[in-house]
Amino acid sequence: MQLPATGDEVGASSIGTAQAKSRRRDKIRWSYTLTSWLGLLPFLLFCLLFEILPAVIILEGSFVDSNTNAPTLNNYQRLLSVPSNIHAFQNSVALSAVTALLGSIIGFLASYGIYRLRSNWLRNFLIGFSSIAANFAGVPLAFAFVATLGVTGFVTVFLKNMLHLDLYNLGFSIYTFWGLVLVYLYFQLPLMILVSVPALAVLRPEWREAATNLGASGTTYWRRIALPVLLPSLIAAALLLFANAFGAYATAYALAQGNINIVPILISFVVAGNVGIDVGLGNALAVGMMVVLVVAVFIYTAMLRRVSVWQGR
Amino acid sequence: MSAVQQKSRARAFIVSLDALFLLLVVIYLVVPLIATLVFGLQGGKGLDVHSYQEIFTDKNFGQTLQLSLELALATTLLAVILVTPTVYWVQMRLPGVRIVLDILSLIPFAVPPIIMSLGLLEVYGSSNLLINVLSLGLVPILSNNPFNIVNTPQLLVCAYVIVALPYVYRPIDNSMRAINTTVLTEAAYSLGSGWWRTFLRIIMPNIWPGIISAALLTFSTVMGEFTLASLFGIFTFPIYLNEVGQSDAHKAASLAVLSFLLTLLCVLGIILLVRRRPGQQVEIAAAR
Repeated sequence: MQLPATGDEVGASSIGTAQAKSRRRDKIRWSYTLTSWLGLLPFLLFCLLFEILPAVIILEGSFVDSNTNAPTLNNYQRLLSVPSNIHAFQNSVALSAVTALLGSIIGFLASYGIYRLRSNWLRNFLIGFSSIAANFAGVPLAFAFVATLGVTGFVTVFLKNMLHLDLYNLGFSIYTFWGLVLVYLYFQLPLMILVSVPALAVLRPEWREAATNLGASGTTYWRRIALPVLLPSLIAAALLLFANAFGAYATAYALAQGNINIVPILISFVVAGNVGIDVGLGNALAVGMMVVLVVAVFIYTAMLRRVSVWQGR
Repeated sequence: MSAVQQKSRARAFIVSLDALFLLLVVIYLVVPLIATLVFGLQGGKGLDVHSYQEIFTDKNFGQTLQLSLELALATTLLAVILVTPTVYWVQMRLPGVRIVLDILSLIPFAVPPIIMSLGLLEVYGSSNLLINVLSLGLVPILSNNPFNIVNTPQLLVCAYVIVALPYVYRPIDNSMRAINTTVLTEAAYSLGSGWWRTFLRIIMPNIWPGIISAALLTFSTVMGEFTLASLFGIFTFPIYLNEVGQSDAHKAASLAVLSFLLTLLCVLGIILLVRRRPGQQVEIAAAR
């Protein structure tokens, strides 16, 4: 690493040369900073072209009439005046919140189970399996659940033949809200396990010993020590799960071919559907989604910053 | 029964709560896999491999799989080549800029693929003065001949690099911070090594686990990506999967099993390549 020219080591020199040297030093320092930034240029340009500008154009486009290019709030008015658009947001938020909540509670309990396992081999196996399952999303996941719990799915038929239990007569359907919750949990639970097993490592055995020595019961230990320490990571994990479900498109699309009213599917219909393209409304819907997600990501990072206190970083 | 035994039994009951949930979760994760495998094999009457034979003789299967593999490979290479030197450069030269990289790698969470595809179609599909100025004139070059990337696999690869950015940046940044880059770099420089040589011969081998995780996560993400390809109208493997699945549920189940195996291979690759490098530990320890 070339270090910037520092300190004038030759002491006895005239004022003139000292000034010239300091000027040269400034020049070197300046060119050093410039090359530093130049090295960053390819990455920054790439992000500008394919990450920042798409977000900027959506934000701009949501305030512009897509036919006349005049500034307008019409896109947002149309978003708010149609009840099915509002329903899409309600469904999306409810679906993401329910799967994030169930996913983080059940997933946390399961990862505590993994954390307490005595067998290292089994623990590594379960973590490896979780990372496979967390990556198994989208179209294949939807078809796997159709094959499992669809009308002619393996488990549906099995329950009907063996236990005379007809799920679809009982009102269950994989294509409804709760069916979708069941499908989404397939990638939410493993993700929670992957995130919270490392988070559990901050719990030191000494804390438990100290608490027990001072007369604390298991419940007190959890309520007063373990949970307060873990809470920021759990909240961060829940928000990650929320964002993960909120942006998911392929799973729901492949499952019901668009017969579920959630925002990502609505956007794809508005901008690429058969009915007629309304880019302005699509932009307004996308901005609505981004606002929800930015809030989630912001709280997520704020929580992670609190976690780092316990990890001593 | 002594009091101690009773107490330990009560504790065993509490302990079993998390074990119970773990068991339930594992069952929930395993059952659909087995059910899908069996369902795919049930194509006709009884057990047969008919649907697999049909899939392997389908021309579209081979073509879309090849396209997806090429896209995944290109994305992985581009992402690693773009991110790794940048992270190293920032750590050595501009440590204050790390926050910018952190934010850039978080944006894909706030801008999911469905929004990105909409934005990219607008950026490269129509002429917009604001975008032309903000992109320093690059967008008009890229959306007109001879460098037209509108609706091409090249644009898809660039979009995938952004989608995969969080999975690429995190592991590489983490492993770069786990080794002492400053000491390694100064040692290499004092022995007369240049920037690229230091980066390729000293830094890269030391952060290899991070790069492998990043690469395989990217690879498996691209192999399964549906949203962007669907809105760009490019016929990749997941699009083919969706198309087949609408007409034949048994074939779709078999295809789902195949893509599960693909994911399995990627994750196994991470586990085997990253964990089992005996020389690694020594090198990192020496660097501290």
